[in-house]
Formats: sequence, C-alpha cells, structure tokens
Amino acid sequence: MLCEVKEKTRTGIINPIFTCQPCGAQFVSIGVKNCVGIVHGGQGCVMFVRLLISQHFKESFEIASSSVHEDGAVFGACSRVEEAVDVLLMRYPHIKVIPIISTCSTEIIGDDIDGVVTKLNAGLLKEKYAGREVHLIPIHTPSFVGSMVSGYDIAVRDFVTYFAKKTEPDKKLNLITGWVNPGDVTALKHLLAEMQIDATVLFEIENFDSPLMPYGNFVSHGDTTIEDLSGTANAIGTIALNRYEGGKAALYLEKEFGVPAIVGPTPIGIRNTDTFLQNLKTLTGRPIPESLVRERGIAIDALTDITHMFLADKKVAIYGNPDLAIGIAEFCLDLEMRPVLLLLGDDNTNYQNDLRIKAFQENVDFPMEIITNADLWELENRIKNDGLELDLILGHSKGRFSAIDNNIPMVRVGFPTYDRAGLYRHPVVGYAGAMWLAEQMVNTIFTDMEYKKNKEWILNVW
Amino acid sequence: MDDLMKDRIEQLVDYIMKKCLWQFHSRAWDRKDQNEGVLTKTMQLLCAEPVELETPADRCFWVDAVCLAEAYKKRYAWLAAMNKEEIKLLMQGLHERMDHLTITGSLNLELTDRHY
Amino acid sequence: MPYHEFECSKCIPERKKHAVIKGPGEDLTSALPLGYLNTIPGSISERGCAYCGAKHVIGTPMKDVIHLSHGPIGCTYDTWQTKRYISDNDNFQIKNTFATDMKEKHVIFGAEKLLKQTIIEAFKAFPKIKRMSIYQTCASALIGDDINAIAEEVMEEMPEVDIFVCNSPGFGGPSQSGGHHKINIAWINQKVGTIEPEIISPYVINYVGEYNIQGDQHVMMDFFNRMGIQVLSTFTGNGSYDSLRGMHRAHLNVLECARSAEYICNELKKRYGIPRLDIDAFGFGTLAEALRKIGMFFGIEDRAQAIIDEETARWKPELDWYKERLRGKKVCLWPGGSKLWHWAHVIHDEFGVDVVSVYTKFGHQGDMEKGISRCEEGALAIDDPNELEGLEAMDMLKPDIIFTGKRPGEVAKKVRVPYLNAHAYHNGPWKGWEGWVRFARDIYNGIYSPIHQLALLDISKDDIPTDKGFMTQRMLSDKDLSEEITSSTVLRQYTGKYDCLSELSKKTYPGFDPVLADAA
Repeated sequence: MLCEVKEKTRTGIINPIFTCQPCGAQFVSIGVKNCVGIVHGGQGCVMFVRLLISQHFKESFEIASSSVHEDGAVFGACSRVEEAVDVLLMRYPHIKVIPIISTCSTEIIGDDIDGVVTKLNAGLLKEKYAGREVHLIPIHTPSFVGSMVSGYDIAVRDFVTYFAKKTEPDKKLNLITGWVNPGDVTALKHLLAEMQIDATVLFEIENFDSPLMPYGNFVSHGDTTIEDLSGTANAIGTIALNRYEGGKAALYLEKEFGVPAIVGPTPIGIRNTDTFLQNLKTLTGRPIPESLVRERGIAIDALTDITHMFLADKKVAIYGNPDLAIGIAEFCLDLEMRPVLLLLGDDNTNYQNDLRIKAFQENVDFPMEIITNADLWELENRIKNDGLELDLILGHSKGRFSAIDNNIPMVRVGFPTYDRAGLYRHPVVGYAGAMWLAEQMVNTIFTDMEYKKNKEWILNVW
Repeated sequence: MDDLMKDRIEQLVDYIMKKCLWQFHSRAWDRKDQNEGVLTKTMQLLCAEPVELETPADRCFWVDAVCLAEAYKKRYAWLAAMNKEEIKLLMQGLHERMDHLTITGSLNLELTDRHY
Repeated sequence: MPYHEFECSKCIPERKKHAVIKGPGEDLTSALPLGYLNTIPGSISERGCAYCGAKHVIGTPMKDVIHLSHGPIGCTYDTWQTKRYISDNDNFQIKNTFATDMKEKHVIFGAEKLLKQTIIEAFKAFPKIKRMSIYQTCASALIGDDINAIAEEVMEEMPEVDIFVCNSPGFGGPSQSGGHHKINIAWINQKVGTIEPEIISPYVINYVGEYNIQGDQHVMMDFFNRMGIQVLSTFTGNGSYDSLRGMHRAHLNVLECARSAEYICNELKKRYGIPRLDIDAFGFGTLAEALRKIGMFFGIEDRAQAIIDEETARWKPELDWYKERLRGKKVCLWPGGSKLWHWAHVIHDEFGVDVVSVYTKFGHQGDMEKGISRCEEGALAIDDPNELEGLEAMDMLKPDIIFTGKRPGEVAKKVRVPYLNAHAYHNGPWKGWEGWVRFARDIYNGIYSPIHQLALLDISKDDIPTDKGFMTQRMLSDKDLSEEITSSTVLRQYTGKYDCLSELSKKTYPGFDPVLADAA
C-alpha cells in the first residue's frame, strides 16, 4: 500500500493543530440565538477562545466565564457557576440558553455541573426568575480528552439532546453542517433552496459576518432558535455533513426518535457535492433541478480550465479539522493533484476506520502519509529534515510559518484563518466552494511562480 | 501654613503626580524611601547645597531629583524669589503632603503587603 | 472623587467601587477604585488567567528558549501567535510552541513520565536550542506533578541544557497579573545569579518590563548602544535566557512596565542593592527625560543629550503635524495595565488628545493611582471592566477613538468607534521618537478614515452627499484648520518607512568605554 496511516511517534506536541474541547463547545454556543455560554474554569479558557474566534471573524462574540480562582480550585467552585448564571440572567434579559461548559480544571476537581444545574432549576430559576424561559445545559468537555473537534461534536449532541422533542412530524430536514464558515452556510442553504427543501440548519451562523450599522449595536451571534433545536426530533431525516462534527447528534436523533441519519460526506469538491444532492434527494424525494446542473456545469467548466494544465501532479500537504482535511484531499485527487501528507490533529482512534481513509489506502498510486494525533512539526520536520517537497500547503493560519519559512505557497482554509482577510465569507462546500477553492489554489500557485520566476511566462498565453 | 504656601505646595504636588513615577512604588516602605530620597535631594539642589552621591541608591534618587528641581525652576518663577529657609519649609510641606497622598492617606490596600 | 455606578451593573453592587470619575480639586485619598480582586463570575470580564500572565506575557518573549506547557493542548495553542513580540533570532519563540498534551490517562496515573519524554524530544527536535521554560497549567497543578523534580532529573542527564520551571496555574489569582508575579519571583529565585556575565562597559543596566512589541526593544537598544551602555539583559522582550541569569551584575535596573515586572526589580534591589529607575519610553519629552536620567546616573548625560537633540530635530515637525490635527479628540485609554499610566498624560501633552476614560483589565490599585493622577479631570477610571460597562461608557463618553485589545476593539467597531491595538499596536514600534510619530499617525488615520466617516451615514434617512467621489484623511482633518497650519512649510507628515527596523539592524556603534579594573 502506498498510502500509510501512522500515528505520530513522539509523545508531546510541537505546534498544535487544534486547541482543546471547550473551544469547540464555545463555538457551538455562539451559533444559538439568545445564548451565552459559561465556561467553568480559569478565565483564560474563555478569554483566549474569544480572541481566537474574533481573530478569525474580525468580530467579537459573547461568552462568559465562571472565573475560577485559587479558592475555587481548592474547595470546589460550583458556587461560581451559580453566581455566574445569576449575574448573566440579571444583566442580559434576552438570554434564554446557558450551556455550562466544563474544562480540565473543573473536571479534575470534580465539580458536579449537572448537580448545579439541578439545584439552580429547583432554586434560583424557580424563585428569582419564575416565568422566565431559561435553559441550563451542562456540557462536559474536559480539555484532556479529544480536541476542539470532539468538543464541537459533544456540544452539538448535548444541545440537540436537551431540546429535541417529538411532537408532530414535519416535512423538514435537519442539516448539521459541522464546523464551517458563514459562507459555507450560505452556499448550503442555496443548494437546499434550489431543491426547494425546507431544512433546519444547525447552526445558522451567517450573521457571524455581521454589519457595522450607522445606528445601534450589532453584536455578532448565531440565529438557531430553541424551536429549531426542539423540532429536530420531528424531521424527516438528518444529514450531518461532517462525521466528527455533528455526527453524534445525527445518530442520537436516529436512535432516540427514529429520524433517519446520513452522516457525511463533507460536500467538498464536485463529487462529494453530487453525493450530498443525491442524499438530499433520497431523504426528501425532491428532484435535482436544472439550475443546479447548470451551476455544476459552471464549476466543472472552471475546473477544466485549470486542472490538468496547472494542478496535475502538484504535491500538497493538508491539515486541519478531519472532515475538512479528508474532503479537501478527496477533491485534490479529483483535480489530479497529489495529497502526499494529511495531518489529523488529535488522538481519535476512529480515523483508522474511516472509509474515506481506507479508500485512500486502497487506491492512491503515489506515496501518501496520513498521520493521526499529528502536530505541525510532522509537517515542518518532513520539509526541513526529511526532504519532503511540496507545491502547496492547505491549512489554517497557525501553520503559516511552515509555509513562509520554507517558501511553499499556502492556501488558508479551515479555522482559524486570521492572517487572510474575509475568508469566512467564501464557501469551500458545494459547487461554488469547489470552484472557489480550486481557483484559490491555482492563483496562489501562479503568484508563487511569479515571485520565484518559475515558468512565470507560461501564463502569457493562457 | 498660609494659603499661598498651600497653593504652592499643591502646584509642586501636581507636577510630581502628573509627570513622575518614583512616588508610586508598590509598598509603603519603598514609597517612604522614595519620597525621602528624591525630595531631600531636590531640596538640596534647589538650595544649592551639596548632594550626597555615595551609593547607587543615592545616584538613583539624585537623577530624579535633578529633573524635578529643573522642572520646578522652569515652571514656577516664584521659586527664584524664595530664600533657602523658605524653600526648605516649602519642601518639607511638599514632603509631608506627598507622604500623605501616597502613603498615610493612600487608599491602596496593597501598600502594607509584606512581600513583593 | 465620586464612585461611578454603571446602569448595567446596578444589580451587582460589588462593582460600585470599581469605577470613579476624577472630580475637580480631588485627590487620590478621596476615592480609588478597588483593584486586583476576584472577578465577578458571569460578568463577561476581559481578564485572562495567571498561566497566560506568566507564559504568554513574560515567559515567551524570551527568544532562545523552548517554551513548554505541561498540560492539555489548549493552553499552549491559545497563547500561541496572538502577540507581536518579535526577536532577532528569526522569531523562534513566536513560531514554535510546545506542550505535553496531557490526556485522561495522564490525569489519572500522573504525567511526569510524559513530561520527561516530551522535554527530551523537544530538545532533540531543535538541537541548537539548549534552554527551556516549563509552565504549569491548571491540570498539571491539580494532579500534583512535580515539574521541578523532572527538570532537575533532565538537567542531570543532559548537562548541556538548562531548564526553568514556572508554577503558575491559570486559577492562581484574579487575573493574568498573578502570573506576572509568580514568574518574576520564580526567575529570581531559580535563575538569577547562576551565570556570571561578562561586563564590558562601565555602564551596565538591565532593561526590565519591556516586551519588544513590534520592535520597541530594538529601538531602545539603539539609544543604549549609542550611549555606550551595556544592556546586560532585557526582561524579557528579545531577551536571551542566559543573559537574564546574569541580571544581578547590573548597576541599574531601568523599569518600564512596572505592573508586570516591578517584582523582580524590587527583589534585585533588596538582594543585590541594584537601584530601580522607573521610566516612560513612550513620548518625546518623557523618553528624553528617561535617557537623561540614565545618562546622569552614569555621568554621561551629554551622550543622552546628543541623541535627544538629534532625534527631536528629526521628528518634532512630524509629531506637531499630527498634534495640530488631533487636538481635542476624545480618547478612551483602555489597555491591560501599564499603558494606562505610560500614555495618559503624554498623549494629552504631545498629541493634544483628551483622555476621557482609563481602564485596566488586570492592573492593581497602584496602577490606578498612577493613571488617575495623570489623566485629566472628568475622566472615568474603571477597574476590571466588563462588556456592558464598556459599551455604556462609550455611549456616555462618545470617544473619537479607543486604544484597547483586539477583541474589545471589535466591540467598539460595532458602535462606530475606531480602535487602535494598545497591546500589539497597529503599525509599531511606538517607542522612540520615530515610534511616537508612528503612533500619532495611526491615531490620525483611525480618526480621519474616510471609511469611518461613511460608517456614520444612514443612507435610508440622511441626505446623501453626491458631490464627491472620494475623501482623503487630509480633506477631513484640515477643513477647520487655519491657513497657517495647513500650509506650514515646517510641519510634515510621517516620512519613515513601513518597516523602520531593518535599517536599525544594520547600524554599527562605536563600542564601549574600557572598564576600569577597580570599577568592575
């Protein structure tokens, strides 16, 4: 087999690909309307995640901390959660949903956040906030398990589990997007609209890209409502686009309420988008309209212009969220490129059994390495010390110096992409995303050819 | 103390508070040393008296004192009309006022912390 | 000085004593905000943790060091690449970060073995780096790993390496300030005095509380080099590990950010008799005075004066160009700690702006004493502000610009207040004479941004001016200025380059005076 799946052999991490679980839960929380999460732990667990998210979107999002200090770490800090809930509710009258997100410190000291929620429901909420709709949702995301990816997965499941309620079946479809950008949600909703499918999108984050208005204060937030979440139990089916970011929730709805679930594939590239449309058709019975045939045609036309002329045989390294990285690798193969290195940055043992990865192993005809539990040193070290030659790097901004220092062109994709402007506005999913991503890659390679004077004249007559 | 003197002391205080940092060390005993060290040397400079420069600490007080004395002379023309005794009295008043503002009357709860 | 009660915080009365308005004729003994107290949970405060105060603020600017966090991955990831402290060794410390990646099994069975192996692997990956700082996190503190013992063990096995251990878990104190304190004390206890530095000048200082944001330290080193002063160490921006082990041999500690680094200066004074000189290096007059004092201390004031004369002549016309256009603009000075007093008076004196509010995220009462003393009457001073209070204050004060952190800057943007990054700067360095002009230029560009002007127009209600295809900053800033100023042949806009550091790195200096035997 030319494609090998290996686990990183070092123990520690040099230059991480992911942050820890609470970040994923926080990212989910900002997608819900009238929701401000409380992260139960030290203040850095919130302050830096808010900074990270604001670096990516160039917007500020509201997330609170229980501000655990020394005494709390020694004697237990559940009272800090109680106080935080009260303070939040007093000062933010619109808040209805408060996830209580645990961290490493509060999991280790054994703070019982489920118990706190029970206590608050029976006490504070009944007495002081009688008549106000408030939902407290404990979410366990110890930082020493998984990564921000699993934290996202857990939080989506916990939100859905908390709210989903079987009433009357409706004709709606659940679409769980996974960790995406506003541009992706717009592209996905466009595909649904073209097929005239009514769907509940988890999560409605298009307003993460929020306006600067001449009046008022437009705080960026998501728009998924409590009704959206509770209605997920009544849907005709669920499509979770990302196996590792939302898959758990889809399977929960299937098991608990019999809502049929299709998990994956991430609709990155033409082929995966085709599959996504087929899945939509299967679940809803809606036909794929001519308009999408045409849209697809425009994308295929654009890709035909660039693929075998410029992209063929280009060697790429890809890192980031697993579904994104795998989806891009699949697309790269369709574009005749060679994804020679794929870095999956946490210790999830399920990657080994992912059918998409097995397919790489069975079919790839060039040496390809897939590293699990990876860090960015797996990339850097191969380039610097093991002679790995790359034409392109695809990944988020934290790996920017691997590209810069080694003179390798890079396309920023995933989360976070703070060192490029406005990327969150552009999709990587759907036909539009396929076109955008491929054109980003080829234009980046063009610029690199020009800076390095590497056959830059070839573009004279293209 | 007459009102004129009080007013002049306040002018001197104002300059220190706005422009200097030496009076705001973090602990009461340091503030005491700083006020004593810098203001004594400032007084000596203003009175054209010899200034002790034996130790590094002396020199450090002295450089702040030189700048302060210069600024005072430049800003407050009335200083030139005062004799040594008057300047000493003025500076003593300033010293007391500074001790009050930064130490004895300060609301800073960390001043008495025994460790840095 | 009356306490200021925010509408939004009336329901949390503990907040009442955290804000004051500086009233006429009042002094610090009438009111001072409380400071450095535990944060109110759920208030959406802007504070960070003690781990980040130690690792991210003070530890990581050290340039030739493997910075390893012992804990789960998030702490190290989150504090990586979010600051602009550069170094002259190709930014090794910005580019690379290290963690033990503690997992559940380690939490249960202990992570010391993991730690040791990670240390060894990290040194192996970067064979030229022989120094390491290890930072405790909440998780490793709570499971009780003995990091010091492991570090000792490795140092015994690998005699060529040296390791510093900083035990400052995230929960250790009300804010990042707890970590500043812990790492100061840990460094002097563990490392100062373990190397005897070579003294090559009669004039030797430590430059303390300087983090080389966008090259501030390089700018200041230029002045020190021109004066023939040996900078034994910089604590910690662009500082090297071994140079900081020799801090005890300096003749003078020159201190900038007293908030984060006064502890080590105080200890150096107590233990080694090295005096502490607090300076402000931001601003023309302030920096001039700082260099003069350092010069006077060593009896080389003339060298300082030569620099002051040269730099002032070069840059004053540019500073004044901006001052004429910034006069009277209202500023919310909302930084983390020290800049609230470093800047409060000098931006008023030298840019002509009015500071209508100061705040500090993690400062102590001492910082408020300095800040309130230096800002003008009527200014609102806030300790540990939270999101709603910030919005309420901006609504009340209507500032023309705000100097704060990146994320709070995004909050300001939404209420149409331009922001400059007070921590990482917009287009720094902002220290030095040229740097100070760069700061003025950034403020000017922020306030008079044509796009900012467009942001204020409501096209659904307001008259839309249709007579212009564009505006420039100049068209906006000069419309009410006198002819004398607008057509001045003396004043000019900033003339420096985007990168003002690369020229500095090519400069050569005359070298140091000989060290006399008895002086050494």
